[in-house]
Amino acid sequence: MYYSAIMLPVSAVCGGTYRAVIRTLTTRNIPLYRRLSSGGRVLAGLADADTIFALSSGHGRCGVAVVRISGSAAATALRCMVGLGNQLPPPRTALLRSITDPHSKEVLDRGLVLWFPAPHSFTGEDSVEFHIHGGPAVITAVLQALGSVPGMRPADAGEFTRRAFHAGKLDLTEVEGLGDLIHAETEAQRRQALRQMSGELGRLYQDWSHRLKRTLAHVEAFIDFSEDELIEEGVLDQVDISVCDLQAEIEQHLKDERRGERLRSGVHVVIAGATNAGKSSLLNTLCQRPAAIVSPIAGTTRDVVESALDIGGFPVLLSDTAGLRDSPDLVEQEGVRRARERVQQADLTLLVVDSTILPSEEQEAAAFLLEHLRTLLSSQDQPGAGRCLLVLNKTDLLPEAHREKLNLELRRVSGLPPVCLISCQTNEGLKDFLTVLQSSVKTMCGDPLSGAPTLTQARHRAHLQQCVAALAQYRWYRDSDLALAAEGVRLALTSLGRITGRVGAEEILDIIFKDFCIGK
Amino acid sequence: MSHMLTKKLPPVQSVSFLVSRRASQLSRQRYDVIVVGGGHAGTEAAAAAARIGAETLLVTQKIQTIGALSCNPSLGGIGKGHLVREVDALDGLCGRAGDWAGIHFSVLNRSKGPAVWGPRAQLDRQRYREFIQAELLSTPRLKVLEGSVEELLVSDPNPAEPGRHRVAGIRLANGSQLISASSVVLTTGTFLSGSLFVGQTLSPGGRMGDAPSSSGLTHTLRDRLGLRVGRLRTGTPPRLLKDSVDLSLTKLHPPDRQPTPFSFMNTHTRCKPAEQLPCYLTYTTPGVERVVRESLHLNCHIQQDAKGPRYCPSIESRVLRFPGRSHQVWLEPEGLTSDLLYPQGLSMTMPPDVQLRLIREIPPLHRAEIHTPGYGVQYDYVCPTQLSPALQVKNTQGLFLAGQINGTTGYEEAAAQGLWAGVNAARRALSQPPAALSRTESYIGVLVDDLVSRGVTEPYRMFTSRAEFRTSLRPDNADLRLTMKGFELGCVSAVRHHEAVRVRCSLQNAIAALQALTMSSTSWKKKLPGISMSENKNQALSGMDLLQYKDVSFEMLASVFPESLAPYMEFSQRLKIEAVYKPHCDQNKSEIKKIQSEENMSLPQDIDYFTLSVSLSQEVREILDRFRPTTLGAATRLEGMTPAAIANLFKYVVLTRRQESMMSGKQADNEEERGEEPCKRNASLPQ
Repeated sequence: MYYSAIMLPVSAVCGGTYRAVIRTLTTRNIPLYRRLSSGGRVLAGLADADTIFALSSGHGRCGVAVVRISGSAAATALRCMVGLGNQLPPPRTALLRSITDPHSKEVLDRGLVLWFPAPHSFTGEDSVEFHIHGGPAVITAVLQALGSVPGMRPADAGEFTRRAFHAGKLDLTEVEGLGDLIHAETEAQRRQALRQMSGELGRLYQDWSHRLKRTLAHVEAFIDFSEDELIEEGVLDQVDISVCDLQAEIEQHLKDERRGERLRSGVHVVIAGATNAGKSSLLNTLCQRPAAIVSPIAGTTRDVVESALDIGGFPVLLSDTAGLRDSPDLVEQEGVRRARERVQQADLTLLVVDSTILPSEEQEAAAFLLEHLRTLLSSQDQPGAGRCLLVLNKTDLLPEAHREKLNLELRRVSGLPPVCLISCQTNEGLKDFLTVLQSSVKTMCGDPLSGAPTLTQARHRAHLQQCVAALAQYRWYRDSDLALAAEGVRLALTSLGRITGRVGAEEILDIIFKDFCIGK
Repeated sequence: MSHMLTKKLPPVQSVSFLVSRRASQLSRQRYDVIVVGGGHAGTEAAAAAARIGAETLLVTQKIQTIGALSCNPSLGGIGKGHLVREVDALDGLCGRAGDWAGIHFSVLNRSKGPAVWGPRAQLDRQRYREFIQAELLSTPRLKVLEGSVEELLVSDPNPAEPGRHRVAGIRLANGSQLISASSVVLTTGTFLSGSLFVGQTLSPGGRMGDAPSSSGLTHTLRDRLGLRVGRLRTGTPPRLLKDSVDLSLTKLHPPDRQPTPFSFMNTHTRCKPAEQLPCYLTYTTPGVERVVRESLHLNCHIQQDAKGPRYCPSIESRVLRFPGRSHQVWLEPEGLTSDLLYPQGLSMTMPPDVQLRLIREIPPLHRAEIHTPGYGVQYDYVCPTQLSPALQVKNTQGLFLAGQINGTTGYEEAAAQGLWAGVNAARRALSQPPAALSRTESYIGVLVDDLVSRGVTEPYRMFTSRAEFRTSLRPDNADLRLTMKGFELGCVSAVRHHEAVRVRCSLQNAIAALQALTMSSTSWKKKLPGISMSENKNQALSGMDLLQYKDVSFEMLASVFPESLAPYMEFSQRLKIEAVYKPHCDQNKSEIKKIQSEENMSLPQDIDYFTLSVSLSQEVREILDRFRPTTLGAATRLEGMTPAAIANLFKYVVLTRRQESMMSGKQADNEEERGEEPCKRNASLPQ
């Protein structure tokens, strides 16, 4: 038996497969165990787990993106993501509609919706197309929302074409390139997966996979070798603990994995600094409108001023905060407290410094700035590496020669966050600053369009969610039916195996015989 | 029902009159099917071939050992019990023989869920043999001949079929008598180049007291047909005199109070509940380990490199691999009147005097006497990747292999293959296309597919963990999965078919009746006050939904709705299982369908993968050439295959099919239809 018998090595590494073994068990917001607690009957409704979706337009920046859905749950997806009442739209007719998250009901985008009932569709199955705006945030949001609909999973490489072929929709000559297409896509995905796998994340997944394999081996040993044959005590107790730990860890990981959420809700960028450094001016410059009141009076900004921006296609939530200083004013004190809180929660802090307070000797500037950072931010406010940009404002007030020397000097020294010299007054240096800011934001979101990591991430997320749900199935059936409980662990390993590689029955048997003395 | 139990067995003495001891006594010199070997595989193969309608000849070295249990006196268990139920569902012998000969019945894994229940029985060796022999001798179209096969007759292949050779019959050892046949099934067990080991003594043989099969047979397989052959080993424990064992020092292990029959045709077993015998449990001591270590230099079997099974190790391997612990030893009865005990777990190959020293280190055996010493056996097996899913040797038309010759271990594994090889051998002889059994619908399918598409590295035993659709392939529903199909193939009697149809209809009606009982959870609570339901009040629940609750039984529902449910009381347990497993089986369905459609796309066996004009990497070509998968499904399961390779193969198969159908017109269409037939089956209850 192969837990993912029909999964193939190349694709398994990257979680993309020629054929899917996925049995979607849960949705993002309704964990299986909660639904199971209503009587264990929910699984009945999930019989057909075979609906696929994918971004079908090319990767890379584009005005309009097409997301395609195919399979029996396509109509369900359409109903729960597009406000249509209970009716399906007329077939093959474009409608302009709001597309919403099925759980939060949040509007993700407004776009064209098309309904192609079977058999009159590309794949011959019920199909839906969403034509949405091409921004990465929108695409990710829609793909993630689709992944949360029961019975849906990201499509495997070439799967739409393959289904079309199976349904007799394509001629052999048309499908000529299918093998090459799948090859190219899986190659790209494999490289992608390898990149991700070599890092810390890869090690984490491998560790889970390893532990899950052992756990499954122990359950299988307990099932396949009767009390007469398997002498070891407490095998299942160990399994219970492992399943519990794994479930908690993966759930935690899913929660902590903020990149996708950043893409949806925006990267939190906080402007902080001493009073009168020009924080609100920076906000207004970035917003290209007077969102915050600007005055020469220190302490003008007392509360947090927020503004949503699009920086290079990525959503950013920019917050201007009160200048950090000890003030006797109660209102200002509260403003400073809020500012510090924001800095702690920020994905990225823009620390604005009035460049005119820097020492005139350029060599001393770095030490001065480090000291300035220390005094301004208490130890727990210190933003982590890569999460802070130093913005030296008011450079129009510096002599040009000094400005250039300062720039060179600050680039030379290490130990400082990246430094940008700008003038909100003259917009000098603003272009360079925006480039730096954009690349930071991009790193934080992950670039969803290079080599399709959005898809990969959506895929990983889907597999991990299935894994967690399947582990819940183990716990649900643990005492009543161990065969069904074991099915949960098998499913969990299959789901994880789609990220880390397939696991065959022989491998499980090897672990059994290594760990246990078996024989009557 | 239970027609077997009312049948009178012919007395064993009369057996000799019903069989031939000389080939010249045979009424004919040409058969449809010849089966070589009278063990679990051979008997099932011969009986199945005859049931299908083939004139069948069973050739065995000794008629009296037909149906002999060479090793442990038991049948079934976890995974193995599944196979027995499936063999029975296809009207095979071993299930009914087990019900006839069982003297201690128990369902293993009772607490772990119905999908993994393992029906098992201790057997009376004498009764088992009696039943099998009587059954064979009363099977129409089946003849039994005592003799040794010297070689296979091989001729040129039929050019219309793939394969380089064709088997034409057999030549017997004495008198060079030729008997021709369309199909030959080899079930040589441990007899192919078999050698026995005790201590440092090595002697040719397949079982203590029995000669190995002729070297001519080995020669035919290796040299004439060019088959790849490997070597495996196994062993058996010494048999102890019951009187010499102090059973008061063991732990008594009683059977189930109510025996569960193996066969779908039996409602009870021959052995009455109260007549069942117990087993006894004891443990090894440090002294056992000491004796093993001291005698290693006298024990050549353990030093051999032939692969033995990891799950049924000799006591030597057990103490060497897991030193310093105490191992279980089961003392099992050999029969109702037998004065022997079988010490399960003490398989050993040291010299007999050391064996005695070893067993006497175990307290209840401190004065035990050995009746027959334990020994090891090494034998040849044919690498099973050289077989088609019909268990036919790919390069030799008409030659089928089943049992240990394919690298498996166990009576049940042998019986399952025997039946399947017998069915296909007969179909071939009667010019019918090979029958297909998918791994999605049966453990037999899993067994065959694992063997032919992956091969073996150690003796292959069935485990439930090998079946990916374990929740659908349960022992309780083997009849629904296989009996109708078996009837279509011709290996199931009308009586059994009729019974299976009755069961299926009843279950369908009962499920419909349960589904018709739909009401709000509030109403259910009123009807069944003891049940804790967390459903919301207005939710409508059917009787099937209710049955999924742990503490709801069919009996409870039937007592509330006697008029609609009482007629189905005999199926109460099966209905409960169906209700609990239905959601999971439904979930598997689409995946099963996918696998089956790929299993139905056959890859031509004569492809030269190295020159095939399909875009494939060299690595993939080598894999395909080595394993020669028979279907696209089998190809996808091979280690090292890539999605692109599968897509390209898929395209190739479709293209070839179309070209063929264009050339041969209607005929190919018919074949395609036939090929898709198994696809219509579902692993769960037919709707």
